[in-house]
Amino acid sequence: MSSENNQKLITAFSTALEIDASQVIDDLKYQSIPEWDSMSHMFLISELEEVFEVEIETDDVIDLSSVGKAKEILTKYDVSF
Amino acid sequence: MDLLQKIKENKHLCFIDGATETTYSLSELLFEFPVSKSRTLVFLYLDNSIQSLACYLSAFNTVHTLVLLNNQLDISLKNSLELEYNPAMIYDATRNEIETYKLIDSDNGIIYHKETVQPTVHPNCKLMLSTSGTTGSPKFVKLSEENIMANATSIAEYLPIQKEDVTPLNLPLHYSYGLSVLHSNMLSGGKIVCGLPDILQREFWSALEQFKFSSLAGVPFVYEMLKRIGFLKKSYPSIRYISQAGGNLNINIKNLFIDYCFENNIEFYVMYGQTEATARISYVPPAKLKDKITSIGLPIPKGTLSLDPETSELMYEGPNVFGGYAVNKNDLTLWETIEQLRTGDIARKDEDGYFYITGRIKRFVKLFGNRINLDDVERFINRTFTTVVSACVGIEDTHLLVVYEGAELDAGEIKKVIFEMYKIHPKTIKIQQLTALPLTGNGKIDYKNIGLEYDL
Repeated sequence: MSSENNQKLITAFSTALEIDASQVIDDLKYQSIPEWDSMSHMFLISELEEVFEVEIETDDVIDLSSVGKAKEILTKYDVSF
Repeated sequence: MDLLQKIKENKHLCFIDGATETTYSLSELLFEFPVSKSRTLVFLYLDNSIQSLACYLSAFNTVHTLVLLNNQLDISLKNSLELEYNPAMIYDATRNEIETYKLIDSDNGIIYHKETVQPTVHPNCKLMLSTSGTTGSPKFVKLSEENIMANATSIAEYLPIQKEDVTPLNLPLHYSYGLSVLHSNMLSGGKIVCGLPDILQREFWSALEQFKFSSLAGVPFVYEMLKRIGFLKKSYPSIRYISQAGGNLNINIKNLFIDYCFENNIEFYVMYGQTEATARISYVPPAKLKDKITSIGLPIPKGTLSLDPETSELMYEGPNVFGGYAVNKNDLTLWETIEQLRTGDIARKDEDGYFYITGRIKRFVKLFGNRINLDDVERFINRTFTTVVSACVGIEDTHLLVVYEGAELDAGEIKKVIFEMYKIHPKTIKIQQLTALPLTGNGKIDYKNIGLEYDL
């Protein structure tokens, strides 16, 4: 389950940010690459909501500022990694 | 009229570097920008840092013609623009070296210079701005210092800008809207805060509290983000007014902000404009916004709006109308006197004199505040995928719809090449294969009927 979710997360990031799956590591941070800007961030949020069938709360939209943080936040919504 | 001279008279003006919290006066920011003997072309690749701002203002303080560009542009796009225009000087803090250029000033920024045979630039041409933002198109709008001065003065007249204001520079400086916020606030405002993180970072919101921002400016996408991050659930006592331009804001979101602003005693300015008019053309007085919610409002002070009697195209006249386009360096020698700016939008006027956009003559879609020429995209697709004929339309300025007839293509592949070329996010592109493109009576593509049936 957890590795499946991990794969889903990587795919969601690479789809929304238009980057290679190999770039999706825990340390990847918002605005650290040109591809992860405010526009793609909003697509990322809806992609994650769709893939994991969750509704991400307003505060979490800002807090979700790295791949690692995404996992932490999604865990709150009962998605395990 | 000298803009900087006028700005120097504003004794309340100062600049805060949000990153270091240091405050600078205008004279502290200005440095001696390397001057060559005659007017020459200077490329400035900017972000919202205090260094970029200092460089822009210092370069403005010379006889040179400035081309403002996004420093995040792809290196290949930078190279092709430099090849096309052959600027004598380049400011770009993101590059350590530029081929054929020599580094001449590294204290005040990274300025590169080369001895070059320059095209003679028309003396009216002070500034050149792109209308597309991210694509590195060589097409620029030529603006004079008079254009800039007139528009800034007019904006400062209708917006409630005052000496006590603290204005964040949260829009790019190479974008006409962002630049107009800077200019009008330098004329009549107080503190201007640069070097801020974007609104999706916590630090922006702590800076808002710390410096007590009195206004926010945003394109429709910024308002969508504000809504999504819970802006409407909180209150920000320092904010006196907010402004929106750069395209049509979804009416539901507009309504939410109208109610929020009413409850929180904030003035909400919905505005309309084009880079060809330096930035601003019209605005809706906040008190009328609820009644005139779909309107682009009334012309700004010193501007006139009218409708072409035959086509109903919206026409604008005013001292901020540009001097023509430049698509290559030969155009730099020219300056056109344009009495009436044909906006490319079709409009109507109500009994109170308010204007409403009802359609478009020019074929473009406005995504994320940037104009995308649909015919360009169409030609590009037909050139890239030679087995199909495509047609592109915009859907409500939120999506680009590409329909095509011919061999079936992988939708992902089409989106990918469009993204690489135009930086249009694949999520905002819709692809549809048709058995045949709809045609009008005289055999042209019937664009009106393409978007109609498509259900987002």
